[in-house]
This record gives sequence, structure tokens and C-alpha cells, in this order.
Amino acid sequence: MTKDALKAVLPWVLGLWLAGVTVAGLLWAPAAAGFHGDSFRIVFFHVPQAWVAVLAFCVNLVASIRYLRTRAPLDDARAAAAARLGMLFAILATVTGSIFAKLEWGMFWNWDPRETSIVILLLIYAAYFALRQAVVDEERRASLAAAFAIFAFVTMPFLIFVIPRVYSSLHPNLVEATQGAVRFKMDPGMRLVLFSALAGFTGLFAWLYSFEVRLARVLAARHSREEA
Amino acid sequence: MMRRSSLLAESLAIVCKELASELRQRVALSAIGLFAITTLIAVAYQIGPYSLAENDRPFLLSALLWIILFFASMAGLARVFVKEEDAHTAKTLRLAARPHAVLLGKLVFNLLLLLALEVVVVPLYCGLMGLRIEGVLGLVLVMLAGGATLSISATFVAALIARASGSNTLFPILALPLLLPLLVAAIAGTRAAVGSPELGAVLPALRAISSLGGVTMVTALLLFPVVWRD
Repeated sequence: MTKDALKAVLPWVLGLWLAGVTVAGLLWAPAAAGFHGDSFRIVFFHVPQAWVAVLAFCVNLVASIRYLRTRAPLDDARAAAAARLGMLFAILATVTGSIFAKLEWGMFWNWDPRETSIVILLLIYAAYFALRQAVVDEERRASLAAAFAIFAFVTMPFLIFVIPRVYSSLHPNLVEATQGAVRFKMDPGMRLVLFSALAGFTGLFAWLYSFEVRLARVLAARHSREEA
Repeated sequence: MMRRSSLLAESLAIVCKELASELRQRVALSAIGLFAITTLIAVAYQIGPYSLAENDRPFLLSALLWIILFFASMAGLARVFVKEEDAHTAKTLRLAARPHAVLLGKLVFNLLLLLALEVVVVPLYCGLMGLRIEGVLGLVLVMLAGGATLSISATFVAALIARASGSNTLFPILALPLLLPLLVAAIAGTRAAVGSPELGAVLPALRAISSLGGVTMVTALLLFPVVWRD
């Protein structure tokens, strides 16, 4: 199979994969104990969305570091694309998390440490775009945005890993670490669907990201043609 | 050795320049001080020492104290860099001192400003709100560590917004999400100091604040030359 044919087939494979994950998550996955009704099924969408929001933040970091080393405008476009997608998935994770919170805890919002973490991540993304919008000069915008993205990234471990674990949280933990061993607190069937969903959403992010980068390439080429 | 002492000398020169400039004009000092006092009066007038339930007092009063300190600092800490852009002196400063000396000098100045604010506001707040502190030493450590970490992030963001737009408008927007983890830990530390005379009670918060401060300091030192020169 040629590279072009593979590129044409992959989105269809991704679509079928995500459709399969949706059906499996809603209909096939065994019920989890300790939850109200079928509320646990949102985990197959909420966790991958939160994962992609954090993954996009990491891609944004890598592209920002690359930009500061290469000064290539495409790396800045990559960083901005990752941030745009990260913000989208962070919003989706917030919405699905709120629905779960309403079903499980009776309120859409409880200022649980995990909820607070995702809101701060959203605020960081919003601040990143506010900074980009404030700078007219393209080169300065790219370098300042890269510096902010890297600086913001170092605070992320405190948001995502430290605060939710230091302060008591209602949020269910999917993994349990006891005496150095890490164990998943879920049925093998659930685990299979969850990992499939994680792979599917990661693929969706990669597909959308490649779209954004291709678009940035086209715009850059048109811009240079207009200047010539 | 020569280079290290020179960096220190440049940083100290910038601290002295900032202090002389601030004592002459008192813009940042007035903005931060008046903002803090106005907010403090509003909070004390509305809540006062008696309207909160005894169980809620340590948490709510600790949170309110840090909210006052945080927003007061937002009113003036950005000025260290914004004023250089306003007065068109940034280019001269770039020629006169290396980037790290500029960052360290401005950071120390902002830290002094914050400590001055804390020295005035914290006792006044405790007096007006009837807040009894069990662990004074713990509170002092939380205030010192919190002030230092706050000034590191605030100084770096001040440099960013001065280069981005040359105005204060973006400052709270960029600083707030970066400083929220600090606020969470500082509020927890203050609450622990209010309720317990044991130094051990504030140690978890102190550890979180110090590690955040260390990480942001190293990152700021690495990134500042990019922000300052580009």
C-alpha cells in the first residue's frame, strides 16, 4: 500500500475504531460497582479527553522548545495547533466530568481538586491565546508564546499530580499504587474498552493535529507567494 | 569567580536602581499598598471578626488573606518591566546589564515590595478580623516562601507582558493560572499555622511552595534571555 493510500484509509479506520469504542463503552463493557446506574460509562470518553488535553499540552511544550531552538515559523504553528486542540479537549473533559459529577455527587460543579486542575489548565490555554493575540509582530509573538508555554508547563505537575493527591478528592482513581506496585482498579473488560478509547482519542488528536499543521504549511506557502 | 561577582554586582545595582526609582515616585508602592488597604477595609467591613462560624474561620480567613495579597500584588508587580518600556529605557538596560542580572535585580525588588506589603497587611488583617495565630513562626515561613514564589512567577510574567503589549492589562490573565497552585498551597499553609503551634503542621505546604518556587526560578532563569532579547 502506498503512503497516499494509507493516508486515505487511516481516517476511516479511526472512525470505525471510535464507533466501535463508543458502542463497546455504552453497551458491551461490564457494569462497575460503586456507581449510580450507568454513570461509569462516561469514563470511556472523559478519561481519554482529559488524557488528550494533557498530551496536547506536552506537544505544545515540545513544539515551543523546538521553536526556540530552530526559530522556524512552522514549529510555532505546531505549538499553536496543539494548544487549540488541547483547549478543545480540556473543554470536553470539563463538560463530561461535570455530567459525571451531577450523576454521582448531585452537583455539576464541586470544586473538587481534579475539577480545579482542569479549570486551571483551561485558564492556562486561554492565557496562552490572550498572549498570542496581544502581540502583533509574528516573531516576537512566537518566542513570547513559547516562553509562556514552557513556563506554564512546569507548573502543570503541581496541578495535575500534586494538588489532587495532597487534598482529599471525590474523584475516583483508576489506578492504585500500593507498596511500589501499580494496579488498575477495574474489570478486564472495562480496561480493554478504556485502553481502546485512549488509543482512539490519541489517534483522533494526531489526525486533527496533522490537519492543522498541513493548513499552517499551506497558509505559510501562500503568504510567501504573496510576498514574492 | 570574576563573572559571578560581576553578576551579583549588576543585580545589586539594579535592585538599588529600582529602590531609588520607587522611593522617588512611589507608584508601585502606592498601588499595591492602597489596593491592599482598600480591599482589607472592604473585607473587614463586610465580614469583620464575628460574622463567621468558629469552624469556618481558619480556612475562610486564610483564603481571604491570600486573595488580598495576590490581587494587591497584581496591581503593582508588573511595573518593574512595564515602566522600562513606557520610559523607553529597556534598550539601555539591555546594554548595561546581562539578562540574568536584570531578572534577579527586578525579582529581588518585587520580593522586597511583597514583603513590605505582608509586614503591613498581615498584622492589620489579624487585628481587624480577630484572627489568632497559633503558629507565628509557621506563618512567617509560609509568608516568606509564598512571597518569594509569588515574586518569581510575577516578575517573569511582568517581563512577558511588557514585551507583549507594554501594559498591565494582560498581567492578571497570564499570572492567575500560573499562581493558583501557589495560592492553594499558601492558603493551606496559613490555615495550618492559624490552627497549630507545631512547625510540622505547615511543612507539607512549605514543601509544595518551595518546590514550585525552585522549579519556576530555574525555568525563569533559562527562559528570561529569550523574553528579554527577542
